Amino acid sequence: MIQHDIIIIGGGLSGLRAALEAQRSGKSVAIISKVYPIRSHSGAAQGGINAAIGSDDSWEKHAFDTIKGSDYLADQDAVQVLCKDAPDTINELDTLGCNFSRDSNGNLAQRPFGGAAYPRTCYAGDRTGHNILHTLYEQVMRYGIKIYSEWLVTKLVIEDGQCVGCIAMNLLDSELEIFQSKVTIMATGGYGRIYARSTNALINTGFGISLAYHAGAELKDMEFVQFHPTTLWDTNILITEGARGEGGYLLNSENKRFMEKYAKDSMELAPRDIVARAIQQEINEGHGFEGDYVYLDLTHLGKDVINKKLPGIREISRNFADIDPIENPIPVQPGQHYSMGGICCDVNGKTKVPGLYAVGECACISVHGANRLGGNSLLETVVFGKRAGIDAAKFVDENTFSPTEQKLVEVLNDVKNDIQDIMDMDIDSSGSGSGSSSSNNESFAHLKDEVRSLMQEHVGIFRNEKGLKVALSKILELKEKSIRLNVVNMSKQYNLELVNTIELKGMIDLAHVITLSALSRTESRGSHYRTDHNKRDDNEWLKHTLVTKDEHGAPTIDYKNAVILDVMPETREY
Amino acid sequence: MTKLVIQRNDNTSSWYDTFHIKEKKGMTVLDALFHIQEKVDGSLCFRYSCRGAVCGSCAMLINRVPRLACKTQISTIKKEIINESNSNDVLLKNKEMDEFKEEILIEPLPLPNSNIIKDLVVDLEPFFDLVYSIKPWIDEGRHDNTDPNTLIEPAMHEKIDQFTNCILCSLCHSICPAFKHDEQYMGPATLAKAWRYYLDPRNDQESKNGLLNTINTENGVWGCDVVYKCVGICPKKVPPTKGILNLRDVIKK
Ligand SMILES: Cc1cc2nc3c(=O)[nH]c(=O)nc-3n(C[C@H](O)[C@H](O)[C@H](O)COP(=O)(O)OP(=O)(O)OC[C@H]3O[C@@H](n4cnc5c(N)ncnc54)[C@H](O)[C@@H]3O)c2cc1C
Ligand code: FES
Repeated sequence: MIQHDIIIIGGGLSGLRAALEAQRSGKSVAIISKVYPIRSHSGAAQGGINAAIGSDDSWEKHAFDTIKGSDYLADQDAVQVLCKDAPDTINELDTLGCNFSRDSNGNLAQRPFGGAAYPRTCYAGDRTGHNILHTLYEQVMRYGIKIYSEWLVTKLVIEDGQCVGCIAMNLLDSELEIFQSKVTIMATGGYGRIYARSTNALINTGFGISLAYHAGAELKDMEFVQFHPTTLWDTNILITEGARGEGGYLLNSENKRFMEKYAKDSMELAPRDIVARAIQQEINEGHGFEGDYVYLDLTHLGKDVINKKLPGIREISRNFADIDPIENPIPVQPGQHYSMGGICCDVNGKTKVPGLYAVGECACISVHGANRLGGNSLLETVVFGKRAGIDAAKFVDENTFSPTEQKLVEVLNDVKNDIQDIMDMDIDSSGSGSGSSSSNNESFAHLKDEVRSLMQEHVGIFRNEKGLKVALSKILELKEKSIRLNVVNMSKQYNLELVNTIELKGMIDLAHVITLSALSRTESRGSHYRTDHNKRDDNEWLKHTLVTKDEHGAPTIDYKNAVILDVMPETREY
Repeated sequence: MTKLVIQRNDNTSSWYDTFHIKEKKGMTVLDALFHIQEKVDGSLCFRYSCRGAVCGSCAMLINRVPRLACKTQISTIKKEIINESNSNDVLLKNKEMDEFKEEILIEPLPLPNSNIIKDLVVDLEPFFDLVYSIKPWIDEGRHDNTDPNTLIEPAMHEKIDQFTNCILCSLCHSICPAFKHDEQYMGPATLAKAWRYYLDPRNDQESKNGLLNTINTENGVWGCDVVYKCVGICPKKVPPTKGILNLRDVIKK
């Protein structure tokens, strides 16, 4: 059994930031991550991080843009925290050595981003996430924080309603270990890979969120899934909003800047949900190119601007599409990009389950509401990572609960049995027991493809009751099938088939929650667009969806009003 | 059909397996590995995360050249000619040739002082330990935090940027010939980071001096053979040799 005061699950930006703060409080801290922390998805963030540091900008303006962008579903008290803390947070990262881009005077440079009335996005070229991730990891190394790299957490342990640790599997040898802690902080990232087309890293399965769900936490606003308008055709690698911020045009097959039809004032820089729907509609109406894409044209920006401000985009276009954006437009299509919903928690990361915290993309503090603005999620990871680290340390001091070892051992044995079930082949039904998987067993690869295409087709950019019901019944079938999930590979070292199979069960649970939440919300708001209920309905729906697991293991839905302070809902026009 | 010959490893033995796959347009080596893992042999092991050449997970030997699997297109490799007499070198003559090399050989990345764990997965701990052994970070407690916003000239930002682009994929570590004569050599990635923190105006002089002391050794900057192999192989265009030469200049002064 391994013991720490505070265990952080996830080594992306939010996990690292929380760990630093917890460590500074003098507690025993450890990070568990299924990949080396610097391999986390955070490193892929390109465009930047928002903070009102300009002389005629203010946190109030930042908050206003965030709330309007959220289609008024954000909790305004949480947004205030995010925007007020932003300038200090950026300065802190700068002090730690993060190599932010500069203006000609040597100050932090800022670029315009979609949905913002002011250029308030700080950036490090178009490798912002990478720069912050490495800077924070270097600090984590500096403090000598204990890291369990390439360990998969497979279950949270709850005793008398309180989280007392977790069970994790060392990928090196597939051995399970008990981790006992006073606080567990979930920082496990988003659930993009539940969709067939996603900009996310391949490891972003959302499995961590399903662990919290099974541990009794509430999942909030899961129907709000952001689709990024511009992902590279086919591979769906992100082409940052920064490319449009620098002046890129979106063109349809008639060579028209079609955004004038959808957002005549802000054009290409309208918020993501609007641009993504516009592109999808152009494609659906036959104004796209064959293969379902439109053009993102940067050629008029010229070689210098592209090389200086968007070098990563040039590299991606050349490596993954064989196109040089200096000479030719980039083929783009919308793809899943960000998970607005997640584990419900307060502005200090606290969930409903004592001892369990959540932060970053896996969490839902409700700063993004129904639609996140670009540059606000990197900000969220560091602002709330820090707050969660501080509050977790406090919880350790105040917490008097003394857990028994018995419960931890019990759960360890449950996990062992679950894994044994996956490893044991159903020999009876194959008749021969001759080694290969029998027809009655299910392989992860097959089921995974089914979930992903199902979600893409029916729970994507455009939704309606009929499609959502189809999705729901198919998901229930998949759940049935997932009981028979089984691996062929019996190896102890790096058994990725086993890892993928374990995670897939969690993915199916999340797909269920997302679809159910989307079906119940009979309005259109932010990223959630129902063709059969295409208007926002503030009378009925200015509220958050909360899903918990009932005693039979089925999801049940509840609602909670959004926190409105001084920004009143208006029609959202750009 | 494309033929992939993949080195397999477990804790007792090492062997080669051959797989035939149907190539799709734009297919990368990583795509091919996934295809095999999901459809043919679930036991195949390799590391991955971003699939976009930004996380540094998927370094391996592809036709004897260290590269990122997610950034390497099957079609590109087929067009290459590997100069057999120099097969350990990076010799990618990208001339379009009629003669296609049908067989793609995939092996784990050879790293100094490191073991293979399984198939294409190698132990990276020794590499990471080296990188962080020089303390590449800013000791923020040492200077006054109330004046955080150090002015940095855009030109200086760009100088640092060249080196912060490193994703610690370890390709350079694998190709560097200096390890042949000194197993304790710090290696290009580590020294590139040293230069990055030496340059940084936010770093204080005392830390910079400490950094210089650490790398001013035979297994530090003086161990480099100055053959620019690391510069040639870097998928992120980081020039470690340049950093090493700069550090030597600073020390000499
Ligand atoms: C391509 C792309 C570009 C983006 N660009 C921007 C941008 O410019 N600006 C912006 O604000 N936002 C951007 N975002 C969003 C932003 O990058 C993410 O929201 C943010 O990085 C999430 O950080 P995180 O720490 O919450 O999670 P992650 O970085 O995803 O980290 C999750 C961690 O959890 C670990 N983990 C997960 N499950 C387990 C488990 N069961 N056991 C052990 N470990 C586990 C993983 O190993 C990983 O270390 C972008 C997103 C994408 C996809
Ligand atoms: S998978 Fe990230 S670099 Fe290849």
